[in-house]
This record gives sequence, C-alpha cells and structure tokens, in this order.
Amino acid sequence: MDPRRLADVATPGKLGDYLSSLPKLPATHHAGPATTVRTTVHDGHRIVVSTRYEITVDGLPIGAHLGVHPNGQVHCHALPAYQFLSALAAVRALIDNYPEEFPADLAGPGGGGHGGGHDGGQVHGDGHGGGRHEHGGD
Amino acid sequence: MAARSMATATVVADTSTEVTEMAVVRKNVLKDTAACQAFISGVKLLKAEDSTFSTTDFGIAGPPAKVRTYDLFVIWHILAMRTAVPPGGDPDIRNAAHLGPIFLPWHRMMLSLMEANLQRVLGDPAFGLPYWDWTDDTGHGDPTDSDLWKPSRMGGSGPAPFGGTVTDGPFAFDEADPGTFRVRITANSTLNMIRTSRGLRRALGVDVSTVPSKADVDALFDVRSPSGDPALATYDFEPWDGSSIGFRNRLEGFIPFGLHNLVHVFVGRDMGLASSPNDPVFYLHHCNVDRIWERWMDHNGRNYLPDQSAPAILRGHRLKDPIVSPLGSAATPETVLDPTSLYTYDQLS
Repeated sequence: MDPRRLADVATPGKLGDYLSSLPKLPATHHAGPATTVRTTVHDGHRIVVSTRYEITVDGLPIGAHLGVHPNGQVHCHALPAYQFLSALAAVRALIDNYPEEFPADLAGPGGGGHGGGHDGGQVHGDGHGGGRHEHGGD
Repeated sequence: MAARSMATATVVADTSTEVTEMAVVRKNVLKDTAACQAFISGVKLLKAEDSTFSTTDFGIAGPPAKVRTYDLFVIWHILAMRTAVPPGGDPDIRNAAHLGPIFLPWHRMMLSLMEANLQRVLGDPAFGLPYWDWTDDTGHGDPTDSDLWKPSRMGGSGPAPFGGTVTDGPFAFDEADPGTFRVRITANSTLNMIRTSRGLRRALGVDVSTVPSKADVDALFDVRSPSGDPALATYDFEPWDGSSIGFRNRLEGFIPFGLHNLVHVFVGRDMGLASSPNDPVFYLHHCNVDRIWERWMDHNGRNYLPDQSAPAILRGHRLKDPIVSPLGSAATPETVLDPTSLYTYDQLS
C-alpha cells in the first residue's frame, strides 16, 4: 500500500464521495419470515431441511430475520457476531440490543427495562444471567 | 493544518495531510499511555469534525443532518455488511467484509484509513493505531476489571446488571453537554441505516464473561496433528464462508465460536451490532485481530486464498478482486498483504 495514495483517499471528502456513490441499498422491509434451506447427502440419500421461524414479541411480528447455519446454530444478521443455540435466545438478545424496537410499555408485568424475564443464555458462551442454553435451533 | 480543537465544537474537515515516509509502529494500548491518550483525542476530534456530507447523501431517511468524519466509518461498515457476495445472495452467509476470506483484508484497509485520519487530526504522522491484546485480560481475575475499562482509558460498561449507556470515561454520555460522545448513526434490526442521538452502550461481560486467552490465540499456530489442526496453516477453504475450516474462519470466530466474535459479544451492545465501529474499542480490537494475522503470515508466509481461479460468484473475496474501498482496484487482498510500508507492530506475540 502506498502511504500517499492511502492518505489521499482517506480524506473525509474522498471517503464520503466514495460511500455516497455506492449503489443505494434498498430499505429492507422483511415481509414475513425467512426460510433457511440446508441440504446434504448422507449415505446416498439427499436431505433437505427447511426452517422458517414465525416470531412475535408482544403480539407483533419482528422484522429481524433469523436463519440457521449448517451446524444447526441460529444466527441473526442484526447481531452478526453472535451464535445462538435456539431462536428464543436470539430473540432475547434482540430485545436487549434493540430496546427502541421493543418498548417497555408493551412488556407485561415484571418486564421492561430488564426488570424481569432475563435469563441470559443467548450465546454460545456463559452468560452471567443464568447461562441457560437451549437446544433445538434446527 | 490539523484541527486541534476538542469535541465541544464542530470543526469542518481540513483535508490537508502530512504523510510520513516511515512506517508507524502500532503499540499495546495498555502499555503505552501516550498512544492511548492520542487515540482518545483523535477519536473525539473526528467525532466533532463535519465531513461536509449529509445523512441524505447516504440514503438515510429523515431530515438531512451533518455526518461527522468518524461516522463515515460506521456507514462504511454497515454498507459492507449489507452487501451480499455474490450479489443477490444472503449477506448473512457471506458479505463484502465478513464471513469470508475478505474479512481480514477489508478490516486492514478500514483501519488504515482510520489511522490516516487520526494522524491528520492529531497533526502527528507518526501516530500508530494502538491495539488491545485482550489475552492480557485473562487468567488473573475478571476481564471486566481490565485497566482498559478504567475512566482514564476507554471507560466502563453501562449500568449493572445488563449494561446500557456508558457513564464514565472519555466516551461517557452527558445529554447536557453538546460535545458529549454521541451515537448518531446506527442500523435497526433489519439493517437499515437510521439516525439516532444517544450515548454509547456497552454490556461488558454480560452475554459472555470472558475474552480469548493466550492459549486460544496460540492454538492458531499449532498445526501439528493430533494436538493441533493442520488446516490452520492454510488461510481459508471452500466454501469460503462461516462454515470453513482454516485460519481465517477460526480467527473470525464462527467455527468454533470465539476469538474475534467473542470479543464483540464480550463488550456487547453497540459492539455487537452491524454499526459496531460506533464504539472506539472496535478499532483497538480489530487492530489486535490484524496483529494476529501478521503473526500468522510471519509463520506461514504472505499467503491468501482463494486466487482468481475461484468462481466469479466469489468476486470481492479473491486475491486480485478490489476491496470495497475508495482505493478501487488499487486495493485488493494481494496489495494489502504486506502493510510494512505503512505500519509494523511492536510485538507480534
């Protein structure tokens, strides 16, 4: 990398020009649940597993898409570094990380502002909040 | 010349740049107080600097608002994360910056541009981005007690027990202070860029309680069977995504969950989102990831896969493909493999 060339394109003007020239990505308005299709062959038999999550929170469908990795772990693009052992764990993490999208006034008794119902366990780790790992993501 | 006023006033980008002919040295943020303080000062200056662009220039809904230079990098990261490779595919399977071989080159390019901006606003062409060697924070107590999270460095977590807005340190939020560190652009849960105006959020140690250990990193270099993994001597493998074996995916942290991904989750909240560069710790963390890649190349040579013989559906991840960056075709994985004209690390292991 040439330091002068790099410094030239690093200026706010050049970087902003570049970013604003990129094709505008359409706003994502996820219409309905996404379907993950996993395929493999075992002993000559072709296996197809389709997974579709229909998720509501406080009676409202969520916009974030959940999918399943080939290893069965659940993923969510809105939380790109996370891996989940279940869809429930993924949705708990969405509520924690996008509080504006899950207003406290829609939460039931004991809910809202993490007042209750938080049991951690959302990641392939050891959440302090109880570390309950749920399986069955696929 | 470089703007030196602090974050209490918005300054307009001065694009004059002094370039050093000498490679800078990147140092450990916990061992070099001057580098840490310069980083904090530079971040605040970039956070205050008007890039001269508006949110509408980037298709962000709502009334136009100034975009600060620091926030250009947040936008860049979100856009790259939403750009599927191949086009029309699923960006959660492979995108222009993650879940594939380009992960390390793309972030190297991003950090180099941030480093150049920090040098500019600090008026210090010898400034090197510091790295956070998170392995220093394991093996002796709670990693949330690391000096990194002290008010004199990055500040701490949000309120216990579940985290939230950072309340101490240089990036603490004070609604009454117009110069406070403020998150202005983020992505919602469907990854659309949105405007906001709030404090930085962290949840240190809430979703996972630890960061990777030295043993976790050293394991990347144990390629002897049966104790180690011979595949780690190779940069990457088909299918070139989050399910691949090899060095890149182990370091990115998908198989198994760990290393890079683990640290994002450990810090939590803003660091866990597509807009993770909102937390300045992002740069210290990725600088360390880049350092580990340098260590790997020191062991295994400046090798990269896939080359151009890979299918075109991988365009953007192959050796000679342009990185999604303002350098265009001048920046490819091949051209960024050797960064020593720009920087070196004081220590690789």
